[in-house]
Amino acid sequence: MIEVKAMMVGVVVRVDAGPGTPVDEDQPIVTLESMKMELPIPSPRSGLVREVRVHVGDVVQEGDVVALLEEREG
Amino acid sequence: MSTWQEKLNRLRAEKGRFRQMGGPERVARQHAMGKLTARERLDLLLDPGSFVEIGLLAHHQSHHPDLKDKFAPADGVVTGYGTVDGRRVCVAAYDFTVLGGSMGEVGEGKVARLRQMALQWGVPMIWLLDSAGARIQEFTGSQFAKAGDLFREQVMMSGVVPQVAALMGHCAAGTAYIPALADFVPMVKGRSSMALGGPHLVKAAVGEDVDVNELGGSRVHCEISGCADVEVEDDEACLRAVREFLSYLPSNNREKPPVIPCDDPSDRYIDDMVNVVPTNPRQVYDMRHVIRRIVDHGHFFEIKPRWARNIVVGFARLEGHPVGIVANQPLYLGGVLDVDAADKAARFIMLCDAFNVPLLFLQDIPGFLVGTKVERQGIIRHGAKMLYAVSEATVPKVTVIVRKAYGAGYFVMCGRGYEPDLLVAWPTAEISVMGPEGATNIIYRKEITAADDPDRVWAERTAEFRKLIDPYIAAGYGYIDDVIEPGETRRVVIQGFRMAATKRVQRPWKKHGVMPV
Repeated sequence: MIEVKAMMVGVVVRVDAGPGTPVDEDQPIVTLESMKMELPIPSPRSGLVREVRVHVGDVVQEGDVVALLEEREG
Repeated sequence: MSTWQEKLNRLRAEKGRFRQMGGPERVARQHAMGKLTARERLDLLLDPGSFVEIGLLAHHQSHHPDLKDKFAPADGVVTGYGTVDGRRVCVAAYDFTVLGGSMGEVGEGKVARLRQMALQWGVPMIWLLDSAGARIQEFTGSQFAKAGDLFREQVMMSGVVPQVAALMGHCAAGTAYIPALADFVPMVKGRSSMALGGPHLVKAAVGEDVDVNELGGSRVHCEISGCADVEVEDDEACLRAVREFLSYLPSNNREKPPVIPCDDPSDRYIDDMVNVVPTNPRQVYDMRHVIRRIVDHGHFFEIKPRWARNIVVGFARLEGHPVGIVANQPLYLGGVLDVDAADKAARFIMLCDAFNVPLLFLQDIPGFLVGTKVERQGIIRHGAKMLYAVSEATVPKVTVIVRKAYGAGYFVMCGRGYEPDLLVAWPTAEISVMGPEGATNIIYRKEITAADDPDRVWAERTAEFRKLIDPYIAAGYGYIDDVIEPGETRRVVIQGFRMAATKRVQRPWKKHGVMPV
């Protein structure tokens, strides 16, 4: 299981891929607002989102785990 | 006196014996690990029938009790030369089936000879690494005093001929520094690693329990350390990546990169480019979609795609001519530059400049990251590497400002002061010392805090500032060469590179500068 971490401090504005959603590499899982931009936290690999640990409105810090991803092989 | 027939029989038998590598059992074990043998790898890397082996009949000369009765065909490394896409290369393929592909004295002598040939002939040097590292029995005690010249020689080769170190097995110590000095380092996923000290040494030296993949596997080096360039699925993909990398570079620094025929029209208008990039600067997009629309046939060979993802670097072609692309990636961290992104870009720029590959810069850069964390990491020093590399680069340079071009980010991405041969902007460009919001907070801080309605004053001042960062102002002063339609980007950058193809730059004499490493 891969821990998907916030790359920087920000406020969660959207959960793009909830638990059970298959995602491709670079597809957004959660979107933060930070630095006057909407910054997606893209999936580091192709796989299945197993768990999302944040909700809209949460403030996350850099390095916080926002989701768990099960990697799809191949 | 033996007859000719007897002499030929002996020669053929000897060669057959040496070509068997570590024997059928060890070859089967190599295959069971999902790996090809050194000779199978050479067959895939090189053009069919082009390989000329040197040192097949070499074997170790050690009297060490562990070794003296062991047969080591080619001394564990298959060396020679051949062609890739018809162009000559020197290659050393470490043979894991022979004493774990360890680096012995005879084998290293063969590789040293090959390095010398590569340098004198002006052809790329390729290492296919699958090696346990130095053969300890041959470097016992202070005999080690004679070792180490290979890395100095690699430094001498740097910028003269391309160097490729493909990691195709678990490599420690000696074989881990070869990639450090190479220009391209692919790693086979899950089956390769590199570490200065392997797990046993780590346990003994620092007491840490760690497996070889966790210590220096393909994911570690392709995503965290940045020591490798691409993670590939298997040996075949690895060798394809090596061939493709070489296709963008000349054989040496005195030649131009190879040009291939291209039937993608040079003046192709990109209708859907406007759908890729949002005009709202708050929204992000994947810069690779922009790159693929500009380059020949949409083909982009990305380097270090999973490390420092906030900047994208890699090779593509325009009109069949290789080009190096450096582009901010809004999708990650909004494209802001941090220490790793600056390192990644600086090294890539130096690689392209060393081998006469023109550079295309695509700017959407909100600036350098600020704050205690990055200051302590030395963002000033790391950012300076990028300044240094882009300033030193004398190859043709074309810059397109896609959206943001803020602060020092605009400089390091080849802004006006860094001698681009062509500098154009899209209508969405925002060239400014900083973004409107940040600038308003600094310039009007006193007025805003004193106001009855600070939010309204802030919004007004921000809107006023935004009007000042319009590409038509920069174009009006002649600071940028043109404002272009996004759809025209391919045609415009191709014209720029065509004009700059004969570029010559004279620089003041120096031994070398002082790179801010």
